[in-house]
Amino acid sequence: MIEQKENIINNSFNNGEIVIEIEHLKKSFNGNNVLKDVSMTVNESENVVILGKSGIGKSVLIKCIVGLIYPDSGLLKVFGKEVVAMNSRELNILRTRVGFIFQGNALYDSMTVRENLEFPLRRNKTITDPQVIEGLIVDALENVGLVDAIDKMPSELSGGMKKRIGVARTLILKPEIILYDEPTTGLDPLTSREISNLILKIQNKYKASSIIISHDLNCAKITSNRMLILHEGIMRAEGTFDELKNSDDEWISSYFKID
Amino acid sequence: MNLNIKKIFRNKTTKSNHKEFDLSRFKNVETFLNEIGGLSLFTSKFFRELFRPPYEYKEFLKQSYTIGLSTLPLIGITAFIMGLVLTLQSRPVMAEFGAESWLPGMVSVSIVREIGPVITALICAGKIGSGIGAELGSMRVTEQIDAMEVSGTNPMKYLVVTRVIATTIMIPILVFYSDAISFFGSYIAVNMHGFISFPLFINQAFDSLHYFDLVPATIKTFFFGFAIGIIGCYKGYFSENGTEGVGKAANSAVVISSLAIFIIDLIAVQLSEIFHVFTM
Repeated sequence: MIEQKENIINNSFNNGEIVIEIEHLKKSFNGNNVLKDVSMTVNESENVVILGKSGIGKSVLIKCIVGLIYPDSGLLKVFGKEVVAMNSRELNILRTRVGFIFQGNALYDSMTVRENLEFPLRRNKTITDPQVIEGLIVDALENVGLVDAIDKMPSELSGGMKKRIGVARTLILKPEIILYDEPTTGLDPLTSREISNLILKIQNKYKASSIIISHDLNCAKITSNRMLILHEGIMRAEGTFDELKNSDDEWISSYFKID
Repeated sequence: MNLNIKKIFRNKTTKSNHKEFDLSRFKNVETFLNEIGGLSLFTSKFFRELFRPPYEYKEFLKQSYTIGLSTLPLIGITAFIMGLVLTLQSRPVMAEFGAESWLPGMVSVSIVREIGPVITALICAGKIGSGIGAELGSMRVTEQIDAMEVSGTNPMKYLVVTRVIATTIMIPILVFYSDAISFFGSYIAVNMHGFISFPLFINQAFDSLHYFDLVPATIKTFFFGFAIGIIGCYKGYFSENGTEGVGKAANSAVVISSLAIFIIDLIAVQLSEIFHVFTM
């Protein structure tokens, strides 16, 4: 399996600078080794999809990238800087360059859509002119096709709309890396496809690199330049969607089987 | 360490042919000590963040306004009834000794020294403490706190420091408001069985109050407010296990802060007694 992984790595998407570099990353919770030895890289303007069973540590991995969770050991560099060694100021600067879209959207439910988008903007940019702020908010909402929802509360939005607002809130800071935590979970197939196309649109428009955690094969097919399979705390396979799908290894191709 | 304890107890119990000593009975002690340790660390983190810029003035004002306004009607009604009932209940005993004219003074001392601060703080623990616990708990389980953190905002400063300062400042103000309403309730009660003008009632009530009634009672309300805020925030901030965890956070915020109010009150009474003796 590992030999096959190495063969696939040679064919991997590699047309830019490395923006995320992870080597031998380990993380355990109460003696349970979630990430045993994770190594991976993400290149500039590349969409990497990570596939794996539920509860295997995919979300833990991307939370380590933004410093929400600290790994036990291993190397974790973002834009060439070690995340664990960053002080709070450096971490805040990093977080303006790395956007995170949460599985449950994590919209602030006491704020309107406008206030949700304003929140990161006012705290991280030196813009004070209300008209400029309004322009940026409208621009971000136009990108996700939800300008009409500007004054709505999150409770008034559907699942797909919440997801889009979550994306808009992340996009407003124009991040260079976007981490998507199961962006299509809980959505109907049509809305899932819309979100997947939105991820692709964002990649093309902003030239952002992304890590997309997903179980959704359609989403993976649409959005991925490269895919990784996380199994038992280790990246067990790597390649493009078609390479992995047509793999001779039954264990890998089993991820792509539809009953 | 746990293994050592187990070993020691196993040796002891084998002599008396008992089964292996059950360490699970220490679980509650461990949980209790963990809670105390966690709360102490959280409090020290609060003080570290308190003096470090940036200062979240807007959020602090918003929280103060919300905390104050949301509890105003409830405290008003409770305080009015408290003043009224306390006067009506005390009146027959005072009348027996022919000391009805002391009623305003006695009631004012009771309210200002003890009943006003404690009852107001307990109401606030129920309303504000549970509100903070549930709000932060729900923000934690829906990853809103994480979202805040990745947006470059320090949630400890934005959510916790603002709320704790707001409760620390607002509870004493609410206690003053509660005392005033209680006086009014007491005035109504006194006038149910006789007549006394409002200026005379106030004059008699304040005549009985001394410096040592007002100052310790006011100081302890700041501690009540701080305890309500910090415990509510602590329980909410570290809430887990989804909606069940939110419910537990709100519930334990009320229980622990109510207990803390009584403990603080006990310490405050002892300290003020000692202070009083030394300054006599």
